[in-house]
Amino acid sequence: METRSDNPPNGRAPGDGTKKLGRKMEKVGQTAETVWEKTRDSVSDIGTSLDIKGRVQRNPYGTVAAAIGIGYVLGGGLFTPLTARIVRLGVRIGMRLAVLPLMKQEMAELMETIEDEDGKSKGTGSKANVKRTRGDEP
Amino acid sequence: MEMTEKIEETAREIGARVKPQIEEARRRIESLNTSAVAYIKENPGKCLVGAVAVGYLIGKLASRRG
Repeated sequence: METRSDNPPNGRAPGDGTKKLGRKMEKVGQTAETVWEKTRDSVSDIGTSLDIKGRVQRNPYGTVAAAIGIGYVLGGGLFTPLTARIVRLGVRIGMRLAVLPLMKQEMAELMETIEDEDGKSKGTGSKANVKRTRGDEP
Repeated sequence: MEMTEKIEETAREIGARVKPQIEEARRRIESLNTSAVAYIKENPGKCLVGAVAVGYLIGKLASRRG
């Protein structure tokens, strides 16, 4: 007598589905492993090309500040009033740092030229006076 | 004259009293800076990820307010 398990209604052997599922799972596992390896490789490639460790060793505070900036941009804070305020403050400080020394130098040069001209005019003025007094003499 | 001398003496006293505190504060800040730099150099990944997270939060807060 044939039992149901010997001859299933769809004509397939009883372990066929399980085997297929197992093979598919194996394939998925292999693909996942490959993807993971590729991701790891690319991350390590990016790490070596950016030289993050070296940058941190050379300039720790700067790297952390850059990371905060990247996070700030990712968080959507780029086009906000706070950014405008920070940029305005930075520009003001930069202008002070960059322009003030130039202004000082220009002012010093201007003062020197004014003093030189004053000295010359005083010198010529005195000579003229001397000539005039000499000419007036009887 | 006496007044000037008194003021000078008071200023000197205040300076003598405050100077050690300023020195102590400077030393503390220096040691804090040294330890912070050492920590960042030892754990660059942690610090960078933390910094990105902090920046992200600040950006989120700024965008919500704006």
